[in-house]
Amino acid sequence: MAAASLPSALQSLANYRAHNTRVSQEVVEKGKLLLKAKSASKLGDDAWAFLEQLALAAIDVAKYEVADECLRLLAAKFPDSPRVDVLSGIRMEATQPPEIALKFYDELLEKDSSNAAICKRRISVLIRTGKVEQAVLELSEYLDTFYSDVEGWVELAELYSSCHQYTFATQALSHALLLAPQNPFYVLQFAETAYTADDIPLAVKMFMLCLDIVDKHTSEESIPTGVSIRAWYGVKLCCRALSGRSCSSASDTPLPKNLNLLDELATERILTAYSAAGKDNATIRELVLTWMGPSDRSGGRVHFVR
Amino acid sequence: MVTYTVGQVAYLKIFFHAAKHPHLQVNGVLLGKKVSGTVEIVDAVPLLHHWTSLSPMMEIGLDLAGKHAESRELQLVGYYQACERLDDTALAPVGERVASKLKQDFADAVALVIDGEKIGSDNAALIPFMAQSTSSSWRPCTEAGSVTPFTPGSSFSLSSSDIPARAISLVCDQQLQRKFGDFDDHLEDVKIDWLRNSAAMPSELQR
Repeated sequence: MAAASLPSALQSLANYRAHNTRVSQEVVEKGKLLLKAKSASKLGDDAWAFLEQLALAAIDVAKYEVADECLRLLAAKFPDSPRVDVLSGIRMEATQPPEIALKFYDELLEKDSSNAAICKRRISVLIRTGKVEQAVLELSEYLDTFYSDVEGWVELAELYSSCHQYTFATQALSHALLLAPQNPFYVLQFAETAYTADDIPLAVKMFMLCLDIVDKHTSEESIPTGVSIRAWYGVKLCCRALSGRSCSSASDTPLPKNLNLLDELATERILTAYSAAGKDNATIRELVLTWMGPSDRSGGRVHFVR
Repeated sequence: MVTYTVGQVAYLKIFFHAAKHPHLQVNGVLLGKKVSGTVEIVDAVPLLHHWTSLSPMMEIGLDLAGKHAESRELQLVGYYQACERLDDTALAPVGERVASKLKQDFADAVALVIDGEKIGSDNAALIPFMAQSTSSSWRPCTEAGSVTPFTPGSSFSLSSSDIPARAISLVCDQQLQRKFGDFDDHLEDVKIDWLRNSAAMPSELQR
């Protein structure tokens, strides 16, 4: 790799870190070159975050010799660091039986029971080995102590969803919403979970809240992108589900007024997104149009709960 | 006895979907038709990788994939899934439900689960699941004479035996899975053609 492209590699690595993107193959490809170029030492304080990132990515794609090299550098710089302990644990999980990793974590927790990252590693090993019940128990206990861990609540919701406990899942997500009320993704996840739990009025309300958060910074004529397309699809689906059947709401959420207008708006917004995407999209737009058409009610609901 | 063949395009798409999200569960549907006792699985439409336990986008994706199949005079003949863990080859409860729904319209519907242990080998890395006649649960297919599926004598076969090796080389050498998109991706950017995925197919298979 030419020297000129090093800054760009560094830039994209920092970008992956900032967005928490898991693109391990790319990180290892870019990171290995940096490691070889010995430019880690020139990175200043960023070097250590980079080494941690590279170690994790290397473990992910089974390039253990790269991971071990990073770990060696980190351990030399930060002896007894709990953060390096976590990394060593993950390295252990990659090639050792889960019992060994659990034992390693238990010993660390004996020394310091308030080590949140180690608690979470322990729980993730439990999930990986299929002990979901135990994982739910320990995660709930963990969240009693570390209430403000948003990702913890989201993980708990996903565990509940994977066992079809959708009402519990919405309860866990409502804690995430309290802690991060402006995050549209958590609102969207809440909406989709509520829909799956068959509380359609609550789902509509949350899909619309999601749109409200996302659209705050855009004008009304703008083209829906990203998360708002998904949310509009959700609104459309709810309107279809609500038309022609009475509907209960476990949360006693009232239905929005003017359901028909909302339905039309959702149709218009979704089609705008497709029209803006250009001619190449014409066939998909056609298909979506037939799906949304008023005469078509062919699709039945897939009941995940019953 | 109904037999099943998995074509190159279908196999590559399932494989690319799993390879693009190695740490996540992914799922999708199989397109094909039944010709004199043989279900030919010729294509696949990838659905989700984000929230595979939640139903709204699955419902929409299934509807759209069904319409797409119709427009090509094909049917939804099955479901596929890859788990986030290599050693996990169980059909998730959600998969059972979706597959059971497909079975209402296509009686010979099958569910294929990616076999993580075989994904790096030259053998078909697919485990077929069939519905139990007595209940709504799905079980790995047991064949007469306990033949392993996708080996000689099995009612499951690939349209050509070199497909798994080809899939591995396309992922390792050309990283075609990076150009691959599912319905979740499409919902973030509607330009992504999740129904066809032509851009991710090797040139002679692009339509």
